[in-house]
Order: sequence, then C-alpha cells, then structure tokens
Amino acid sequence: MAEPERPPTSLTGGPAAGEGAAELGPDPNALEPAPSAAVSPGTEEPTGDAKKKIDVLLKAVGDTPIMKTKKWAVERTRTIQGLIDFIKKFLKLVASEQLFIYVNQSFAPSPDQEVGTLYECFGSDGKLVLHYCKSQAWG
Amino acid sequence: MPLVRHSTWGDRNKPSHESIDLLIKQRVWGISKEEQSLKFSISLVKEKLQSICAALSTGRMTDDKDVLRDVWFGRIPTCFTLYQDEITEREAEPYYLLLPRVSYLTLVTDKVKKHFQKVMRQEDISEIWFEYEGTPLKWHYPIGLLFDLLASNTALPWNITVHFKSFPEKDLLHCPSKDTIEAHFMSCMKEADALKHKSQVINEMQKKDHKQLWMGLQNDKFDQFWAINRKLMEYPAEDNGFRYIPFRIYQATTERPFIQKLFRPVAVDGQLHTLGDLLKEVCPSAITPEDGVKKNQIMIHGIEPMLETPLQWLSEHLSYPDNFLHISIIPQSTD
Repeated sequence: MAEPERPPTSLTGGPAAGEGAAELGPDPNALEPAPSAAVSPGTEEPTGDAKKKIDVLLKAVGDTPIMKTKKWAVERTRTIQGLIDFIKKFLKLVASEQLFIYVNQSFAPSPDQEVGTLYECFGSDGKLVLHYCKSQAWG
Repeated sequence: MPLVRHSTWGDRNKPSHESIDLLIKQRVWGISKEEQSLKFSISLVKEKLQSICAALSTGRMTDDKDVLRDVWFGRIPTCFTLYQDEITEREAEPYYLLLPRVSYLTLVTDKVKKHFQKVMRQEDISEIWFEYEGTPLKWHYPIGLLFDLLASNTALPWNITVHFKSFPEKDLLHCPSKDTIEAHFMSCMKEADALKHKSQVINEMQKKDHKQLWMGLQNDKFDQFWAINRKLMEYPAEDNGFRYIPFRIYQATTERPFIQKLFRPVAVDGQLHTLGDLLKEVCPSAITPEDGVKKNQIMIHGIEPMLETPLQWLSEHLSYPDNFLHISIIPQSTD
C-alpha cells in the first residue's frame, strides 16, 4: 500500500498514523477502533466519545480525481463542508470548482452536517463510506 | 400550554388523534398591539375563530388526516423589520406575514425582500438573511422548528430582523436560488427514506414524483404533496413500522447542532416504542425525574405530545414535509 501523504499544511495535522488511515486534524494519535455501526437502543455512549475519531472512506465518482489516501480518521464534529474543503485542497481543485459528497450513494448531506452523526446512522463495518464527485451524481 | 389527558388509547396501535388534534387547534394566537395592517389582523382573527370552531366540533371522531392538515396549514404571525444600520432612501415600514410552519424562510419571503428593497439602493443590497434577537436564522431549518426552538414562549408576533449586508458566513449557508432549497429539501427526504426503507421507496419513484413533492411544498398544495408522500409513510405488512425513525432533537442551549441516531419504532418484543422511550435513550436529561419539577418542554409543531405517544404514529403524522420529526427541547414556560 502506498505511503499515506502528509495532510496539506493549511490543516493542522500530525504525522500519518496507523495502517492505511491518515489523520485529518490536530490529533497525532493512532486510530481508535470504531464502534459497531449496527446500533440498537440500549447502548450508552461512553464519555469523551465526542472527541474520538471515526473512519471515513472516500470514493471518487466518475472522472473525479482519485485521492491517493482514501481512508481517513476524522473528528466526529468535522462538518461535510470541512471535508469538502479538505478534499478540494488535497486534489488541488480550484476554490470555485464544486464538489459534492454523497452518503449511501443516495443523498448529499447538508454542508453543516457533522460526520459523527452520519457515521452513527449510516456507517457500516466500522467506517463511513462517502462518495465525492465534481458534478451532481445522485441528484 | 395545558396538556389534554386521555385515560384510554382506544386502538392499541394508534394514540388518541383527538388529543393531538386538539392540542394543535388550541395553539394560542395572541393579537399583537403593534399590528398596523388591517389585513394581517383580520387573518389572525380568522385563524383564531377557525381554531375555536374546530375545537368545539371535536365531538366527532377525528381522522388521522385531520392531523396531517393541521400540521401542514400551521402558520406563525411574523413581523419583519429592517435592521437599523441598513442604508435606506426613506423610512422602511415593518412587513407582516403569516409564515407556514412547514416551509423554509427563503422559500416564502419573496414579498418581504421586495418590500424592503423598494426603499434601498441597488448597491446596498446583497443576499438577504434573517435574525431573531441576535441569532442568525438558518433558512435550511423548517420555519416551525426555528420558532419553537427560539421564540415559542414569547409574545406574538414573531419579530424577525431583516439584513442585506454582512452575511454571517460562519452561521448560515448561502441560498443563491430556489434550486438550492429544492436540493436541500430533496436530500433530507432521501436521508429520511434511507432510514425508513433503505431508500427503496424513494428510489422507486420517478423524477416527476420527486418534482411533485417539491412543487407541493413550494405552492402550498397539501393534496398534491400527500398524493406522493403517502407512499413514503407505508411499510411492509409483516413489519409494525419503519426500519428506523427519522428524527432530530434540538436544544438551543447545547453546543451540538442536533441529536440524530438510529432508533427502531418497534421493540424486539413487538411493543411500539414511545416518544418517552426515544428521549430516555438518546437525550435522558430532557426527561423529568419521578419526583422532580418539569424543567423542559418537548415540542413538535408548537405542541407537547404526550410522552406515551407511539413514535411510529408521530413519524407518520407529525413529521415535517421532509419526513423528519424535528423535536425541540426548550426551557419550561413560566406562564
């Protein structure tokens, strides 16, 4: 597997950690094991959970450039807009170029949506899969 | 707000529609001392009379559909005032409007924009945005949610300040056109169906059906909207409800924007989960302890449904057009 690239300098970033999952944010710690995605009522959220990161897998759609590093550990409170800005910088896209992010290959969450909430509801196998595209893929 | 109590639920799977319906019809509309427009005051009186007549006539069996209509046609009397630092060529009169609870600010305020732009110079106008007591109002949240969360326990009309400059980038999303609202609305509907039906129902629909949902909302056409939306409220005969309930719980006092989690409407033993069950699971601090004083109101569409109400029924009848239950937790009113 290719060596994960350092995050762009405009984002505060620590050294890449873990196997194949690079850090997106100031915390240089190793990846946290992700909780089970099939949540059923009755599970108490552990304290400090909000600070833990979740695994995000980024998949390109159509002729959108593919990210060299696809798997990222992201803070739960990071927004979709924050992720869009990061991907655009990473792919060296112009600020005016649009980027759309989709969940479940079906809906584009609001830019102010937190990834943590999306992971809680739509994560599977310990990660949240997000598709990104320069044009509207699923309306 | 007084709660209507019923000792029996009747049909086990349905709560008393009458109690919810009555609560909605009894939402109190005060008549503001400040209203200037005669048309505005007449429509307020009309609404009040309609509510009273409806409340008097609930001797008959209330249909579930009545609740759907009550929710759809809910209105909030609002007074729009131009921000004092905006540059105007002459005095800007306030503008009064009855806002639909189930719609979005930027979808229903074209007249407000036109009214204030008449007294301003073109160069002083950029994107319109709204604020209540210093809080920028997110246009992508339904109007009724914003009101319940921020202003439900203050006197009517709802006083909103209109701005045309210094757009608060950190707090608000831009809304360049109606297409932006449509895209946001459809995305919420798709997210809701992903939770309810693994997206199967909404994906089976044709593009024209999606368009009809949006047009129904945009043009305030209840029948047009529900002709399609009713399909999103169905579930397989062998199940007792949706896969998961689309809900968001908001609290003005917390840092996080809202709580949204996976929650099933039916327990493993087949019992229907209630609103109280949901809160106990995802927001236990909102529930009043046994001997405690009630600190919070749990509000949907301006009313407090009983905590024993089955969540599945709430999802089918008290969701917003985007198919989400937007629930506000606010400090208990003192009157």
